[in-house]
Amino acid sequence: MPQAIAKKDHLLSYLLIIVFMGLLGLWIKGIDIETGRQQAGVIIFSLGFVMLSAYVLAQIVRFFNLPMLTGYIFAGIIAGPYISGFLTIEMVDRLRLIDDLALSFIALMAGGELRLSLIAQRGKSILLSIIFVTGLVIGLVVFCIVLMGHYFSVTSGFDFISLVVFAILIGVICVARSPSSAIAVIKECEAKGPFTGMILAVTIVTDVLIIIVFTIAISLSKILMKGGSVIQLTEISGLMFEILASLIVGVILGQIISFYVDRVRQDFLLFLLFVAFAVARLSIGFNHLMEVQYHISLHLEPLLICMSAGFYVQNFSRFGTYFHDSLEKMSLPIYALFFSIAGASLNFDSLILCWPLAIIIVVARMVGLFGGSWLAGAISHDPPKFNRNAWMTYVTQAGVSIGLAQIAARQFPEIGIHLNTVVLAIIAINQIIGPITFKLALNNVGESGCY
Amino acid sequence: MNIFFAFLLVVFLAFSGYHLSFRKFGIPLFARTFYLTGLEFLFLGLLLGPQFLNILDLETCGALAPVSALLLGWIGMLFGFQFEFSILRRFPRVYFLAGLLESLLTLVVVFGGIYFTLPFILKISGHMRIVISMVLACAAACTAQTGLAMFSASKIGKNQSIIKILRYLSSIDGLVAMLAMLPVFVFFPHRTDTAVSRFLFGYDIFIAIIIFAALLILYNLFLIYRREQSELALIIIGMVVFISGFSSVMNFSPLISNFFMGVCLVNLTSEKEKIFTTLVSIEKPVYLLLLVFLGSAWYIVNFWVIAIAAGYFALRFAGKMIGGFSISLMSPKMKEYPPVIGLGLIGQGGLPLAILYDFQQGFASNVSDMVVGIALISIIYSDVMSPMLVGRLLKKGE
Repeated sequence: MPQAIAKKDHLLSYLLIIVFMGLLGLWIKGIDIETGRQQAGVIIFSLGFVMLSAYVLAQIVRFFNLPMLTGYIFAGIIAGPYISGFLTIEMVDRLRLIDDLALSFIALMAGGELRLSLIAQRGKSILLSIIFVTGLVIGLVVFCIVLMGHYFSVTSGFDFISLVVFAILIGVICVARSPSSAIAVIKECEAKGPFTGMILAVTIVTDVLIIIVFTIAISLSKILMKGGSVIQLTEISGLMFEILASLIVGVILGQIISFYVDRVRQDFLLFLLFVAFAVARLSIGFNHLMEVQYHISLHLEPLLICMSAGFYVQNFSRFGTYFHDSLEKMSLPIYALFFSIAGASLNFDSLILCWPLAIIIVVARMVGLFGGSWLAGAISHDPPKFNRNAWMTYVTQAGVSIGLAQIAARQFPEIGIHLNTVVLAIIAINQIIGPITFKLALNNVGESGCY
Repeated sequence: MNIFFAFLLVVFLAFSGYHLSFRKFGIPLFARTFYLTGLEFLFLGLLLGPQFLNILDLETCGALAPVSALLLGWIGMLFGFQFEFSILRRFPRVYFLAGLLESLLTLVVVFGGIYFTLPFILKISGHMRIVISMVLACAAACTAQTGLAMFSASKIGKNQSIIKILRYLSSIDGLVAMLAMLPVFVFFPHRTDTAVSRFLFGYDIFIAIIIFAALLILYNLFLIYRREQSELALIIIGMVVFISGFSSVMNFSPLISNFFMGVCLVNLTSEKEKIFTTLVSIEKPVYLLLLVFLGSAWYIVNFWVIAIAAGYFALRFAGKMIGGFSISLMSPKMKEYPPVIGLGLIGQGGLPLAILYDFQQGFASNVSDMVVGIALISIIYSDVMSPMLVGRLLKKGE
């Protein structure tokens, strides 16, 4: 990862690049698209455009000591449907497979960054942090929404029960983080140390546990909305089985990767590309097969599979360093691609629609993050600077939250659209602020390699 | 039939995987060429494609269009990097001319042979008759020397002079193919006659030159300051995709436009070594991935395709032999080489694959798929027979 502070005289060249690319982009936009090849060409061109502009903007934001990730996201926002319209919503949809491939790579990297020794060393701190942060975030968000919900247009039409259900679901979704953003900022800053290891472990483990908490919340909400007496244990045990199955598939995949490095090693990146593609495609295929053929709702999570595969290779094989270094080589293009598409996918229609409520929830979430992580750190006798800064690394939010919101919306159509809108608005704010606070925290703690 | 063929493919690929994992496991001589050239990835693509497992279905291939554009652009740029004038000048000019002549003669022989036969067999008419003949001729004109890796160091040591000229010719002859592919895109099926006439008036050329110059300036703006290797990788990937997209929108070839960009960069920028290192670092994965993509769209229709491919191979063989014979007469220096030097130019390598894939993407139709299928089988013939033919040539040279 480049670390030299960009020189001021580079700024002019970056601005010139932007002007040139903008002109070429405008020219392409003016061409009449008649054939399928030309349509595909526009998408390919747009992807190249976004990648290059992401790189340029990432270099520019470094002048302001912001993380490159912010530059990638801004490039996506600017190129996306709400500002220049260069990348339309349909185009972003058509890039979904490429996006999934990049995410699988990032998940492999994230898993590979988790060191078992470090988790064991700071196990108590990690566990307490997960418990307190989860509890406080849910509690505060629910409290704020229930208390103030009737003042906002989005929720003013809800009856009390609907408002409570809405608050619970949003509260749980607010616990979700973005491991991909975390790993990208950590890599960019070349951050190393106990604090970095701890926050990464908390982020990744929370992202797994949140699925269980979410299922419990869904069951609870069903009881509140539709009546019922007990939480459906079959749903929760089914979910536990899904997570376990994904972890086991991940371990098997990790063994395959280790075997490949041991016996073949050549064209390793190509092999990983096949792995990423296979995981992305076969998970969907498997889930569909189980549902349609056998009527069993068993869903393998590609993200979890890749994370556990990376974790296995790093911690239970001799090839952790080789695996890590191979992924590292392609990390910059993958981050630029993934986060610029993520930026283009941010929903600003939702933000415009419900920004006052979204801001209140974001603030409540931040307070919960701070309180939870501070309390956990204080009990575990972590250094005070860890306790003061940990919350800033938990702000980022992305894909998992959107996925959860969509599931919740399907389960409760009465509040579904509003829930989706508010979640998308919260993500838009958190994904812009999150990487900045993340980098700031790493700098404050002194584990960042880029000041 | 499909199940039986799929079973054979799975057995073959399992065999390949076993061979890769357990190196002590011996394989027959003819099969070694397969693994050397990576042709088993063609079969992997075939297995993954719509004909068998349907994992790489049409929708997925469509979603992966940016990846295929990247592959074509990458190969084009890498090939362009072979044309660094300062290095080319170190070799005798007659070598360069020999490379062009040999390639041009093959192109003419194959074009003529195809133009007057294949369209009648496959019922092709209009522009496509020229396009298909030219594409197959361009693919035939290219040569690669992957087969040389099969020979012992002592065998190569005894034939240094022949090996040197073979390698040189192989690095040059693709230039003719690239230049001949240029007009092919003028006959793009969606262009109207007016567009063709506009091209004749030079309008399109003028626009193309302006855009190309702008892209070259943009590239150089990125390279004004020294970049780290990872940044350079991002810039190259981004630019290759950017240029490939631009070319597709303009109904042009990503392969050729990136080739010309490569030629310009290698001769103009001071960062050429770093760029070349980046390009080469994933050269093999790029080729193998290209094979998978080609394999997934490979339609083996019937036995006749295999026979037609044999005919195409024979035409190419004749072209290379005529080309080889002609260059041996070019000058006293070239007379040092045996007149059957064409035997050493049968291996086709990766560039023809890129040309075929570029054609398949640009001229998508059932006929295109069939033509590409024929050419792929012919490439397999060439790559399997090439080591044996090179062996004969080296024997004559000793």
